[in-house]
Amino acid sequence: MSTEHLLEVQGLKKYFEAGRPALFSRDTRHVYAVDGVDFNLQRSEVIALVGESGCGKSTLALLLMGLEDPTGGKVTFEGRDITHLNDHQRKDLRRKIQMVFQDPYESLNPTQTIEEIVTEPLTVHGIAPHKAERDERVKKALEDAGLKPADVYLGRYPHELSGGQRQRVVIAAALVLEPEIILADEPVSMLDVSIRAEVINLLAELRITRQIAVIFITHDLGSVGFFADRVAVMYLGRIVEIGTMLEVLESPQHPYTKALISVIPVPNPRLRHERIILQGETPNPINVPSGCRFHPRCPVAMDACKASDPPMITLSKTHQAACLLLVK
Amino acid sequence: MQTTLKPSEPTNLISARLLGFWRVFKKNRGGLIGFVMLVSIVFVAIFAPAIAPYDETSASTTTISDIYQPPSAAHWFGTDDAGQDVFSNFVYGARVSLTVGFFAAFISIFIGGLFGLVAGFFGGRWETFLMRFTDIMLVIPDLPLMVVIVALTRPSLLNIIFVIGLLGWTTTARVVRSQTLAVKSRKFVLRARAIGAGKGHIVSRHILPLVMPILVVQAVLVISLAILNESALSFIGLGDPTTLSWGQMLNYAFGRGAMSTGAWWALVAPGFGIVWVVLSLTLLGQGLEQVLNPRLDTHHLMPNKPTVHVDAQPPKTKSLLEVQNLSIDYVTEGKLPAHAVENVSFTLREGELLGLVGESGCGKTTLMLSLLRLLPAAGQIVNGHVFFKGQDLTALSEEELNKIRWSGVSIVFQGAMNALNPVRTVGDQIAEAILRHMPDFPKDQIPARVTELLDLVGIAADHKDHFPHQYSGGMRQRAMIAMALACNPQVIIADEPTTALDVMIQAQILELLDGLRRKLGLAIIFVTHDLGVVAEMCDTVLVMYGGVTAEYAEVDVIYNDPRHPYTQELLKAFPDLTKPKKKLSSIPGYPPRLDALPPGCRFAPRCPLAFERCQTESPRLHVIGADGHVASCHLIEASK
Repeated sequence: MSTEHLLEVQGLKKYFEAGRPALFSRDTRHVYAVDGVDFNLQRSEVIALVGESGCGKSTLALLLMGLEDPTGGKVTFEGRDITHLNDHQRKDLRRKIQMVFQDPYESLNPTQTIEEIVTEPLTVHGIAPHKAERDERVKKALEDAGLKPADVYLGRYPHELSGGQRQRVVIAAALVLEPEIILADEPVSMLDVSIRAEVINLLAELRITRQIAVIFITHDLGSVGFFADRVAVMYLGRIVEIGTMLEVLESPQHPYTKALISVIPVPNPRLRHERIILQGETPNPINVPSGCRFHPRCPVAMDACKASDPPMITLSKTHQAACLLLVK
Repeated sequence: MQTTLKPSEPTNLISARLLGFWRVFKKNRGGLIGFVMLVSIVFVAIFAPAIAPYDETSASTTTISDIYQPPSAAHWFGTDDAGQDVFSNFVYGARVSLTVGFFAAFISIFIGGLFGLVAGFFGGRWETFLMRFTDIMLVIPDLPLMVVIVALTRPSLLNIIFVIGLLGWTTTARVVRSQTLAVKSRKFVLRARAIGAGKGHIVSRHILPLVMPILVVQAVLVISLAILNESALSFIGLGDPTTLSWGQMLNYAFGRGAMSTGAWWALVAPGFGIVWVVLSLTLLGQGLEQVLNPRLDTHHLMPNKPTVHVDAQPPKTKSLLEVQNLSIDYVTEGKLPAHAVENVSFTLREGELLGLVGESGCGKTTLMLSLLRLLPAAGQIVNGHVFFKGQDLTALSEEELNKIRWSGVSIVFQGAMNALNPVRTVGDQIAEAILRHMPDFPKDQIPARVTELLDLVGIAADHKDHFPHQYSGGMRQRAMIAMALACNPQVIIADEPTTALDVMIQAQILELLDGLRRKLGLAIIFVTHDLGVVAEMCDTVLVMYGGVTAEYAEVDVIYNDPRHPYTQELLKAFPDLTKPKKKLSSIPGYPPRLDALPPGCRFAPRCPLAFERCQTESPRLHVIGADGHVASCHLIEASK
């Protein structure tokens, strides 16, 4: 692979120790939270990482942010290996990759004012030491995040804002560092449907106005179709299908993707359709099934699926999926 | 408009926070009394030379006749064994006792706070070491140890301060550690790490501000403990002989015959001082705790009065549940009633699935709780009727209603799946639900019934004896549905049953509810803010906004011919994968607060089509077409 990618992830793994199966057993069990993830991200691209809880998408986010140390694999940012860095080495990098968390009610310190929250990243990195310059950057970040006029919000506390406004504050605190990537972990799932669009549209705008790439992590394919360039579907620690938004939404190839798409509610009662409802839930990542990890829940599984782990099959230049049915 | 906020004044933050704190604190009666008591005794200690009628060395001028004089005009509290004025000693004693208390507490709080913070924040070996040390210190009885140490060292004021301070930090360390752990696990700390903040920054900016309130409360309590300890030490004769604290006054009076001569005043004055200070600190500590750790604000509620109805009209149709013009107010003492729900009507036929849609805060849950009169005490049905199989539920007595709750209409409460008791098996809890609502149910048949109920919601019988933590989110929600089915109800109200669940689990739960309605002929009211789910399975839809009906129609009409601007805007905000190029729009602002409703149409401040009339006059419900389609918007009248 060339170094033209903004971010490149190769075979990334994270196993957590989960204690011993028995008191005197020698070997420890592992939770295979992220088990070999490959993808790349271009400048100002939006990629959606979709999967159910337990598929490892949040662990993946923490790995990319350097908040967890990977067990294996490699992450490259602008050609530089950033897989294992200490806090000091990572500090500069943090400016470039920022994160927006799921719960805007929890991710803001209730004792800080909006001004303090958005100024904090600048103070931490020693950017804009002069107050006038700092204030200007804070105001610009707030207004870019849709909190206009910024003066109105500066002295307020998080509890005085609505959920959507709080999420905008989190985004402003990320923007103030002028990052190149924003990693958004379920940024709208805690919000009412009526205000989800405001956050999604804001992220979509930022990639255009500020050339920011967005990694959008969600369990809801329905909410990402509108602004993602590419979609990656994760199951049990792996990406099982990746392609452009239209490729994945209109011609999904992996049975899991097909099922996920079929259960997206369509807001039109005239279009009620057959849904592929998978039974059970994502298995515990301590016991990853043999062969294809999806086979126990797969509606079209064959005998071969129990034995062999399917490789990623290239379907087009941009579209890949890991399913034995696709092997010609 | 709700979203236009006043510009915030650029104030000095710390003084603004203190001012805000004081505003809340001064309403706390106990805390305020404690504060005033404490300030008064500190005042006495500081201005002792001015307040005391005699100075500390007055003993030299006394004669033998001055010993143990009862209270008089010259000696308000009498005199002691050396002929000294007890009141003056009391005033000077306050200095010593308070000094020891404050300085010893400072040492304790410093050590305890530091240990707790380090153990909680860094964890690992530090925590193991520090907390084991704390545990050991905690099991050693403080007072005997202090006695031993003070007896071994020279009894000076400084020694006493250090001994008390160095032994009194254990509780503080534990309290601070647990608070640090709680704060550390919160998402904003993770966010600070993601920003690149170092440990020092996180501790000083994010952990300390949230630990501080507890530390302040703890400090107040530790001071009172230190004063008590000093008094105890002095009382048994281990105080600094060169100073006179309250404890020493007690010691001298006790040891030199105050009891035998009946000189009660020599004992009462110092005792009073100790009680005064400890009481003031306890009151202050409690007050601070209430102000700094506000639990859920429990308002003073008016008692719930049953409402009398005259114009009850039994329903004409043979519907299972019919709600007529239901209005609910939240009544808080000293405030105008908040009209949480106004004039909402709907009907529910057997086997019908009604979707109740609206944003958070639109009165959906209030409306549902009111059907079974399960509202909190402040919520009162002020108008309207709820007919269940022809019976008016609003007119029934509590006992009569209890027969309908659960066996006629049951509710799957919002977030209830997280409210399962963690230490009891799920099967046990379902059995309890059966017994609670049907006390006559034969006991020997309960296990079979539990298995049957679990089977109905798709949980294998061997999961019966599992605990809630062994269940996934989806299974817990199934268990809640099983509980709701326990008494074979005809109507189930499901309040946001799929919110916070993954799409696939959500689909499973919806399939389950749909299956139950076919199998058991259940009528279901499905409360949600998710229009997609409603389109997938509901027959009729009631859209609520700000406590009123915005629109009510069959599902196809709502989605293909919505007439109320709120319905239209909600639909625009919902992503539709069949039209992936459509830009999503959101509804700016948020629903009105129930105690600050706009004068006209409640949706007017956010409505893109609002005109002059909407600001002043609230629209009535207009009937559109023959199929019961209604909507409350002035535009419908104009188009007729």
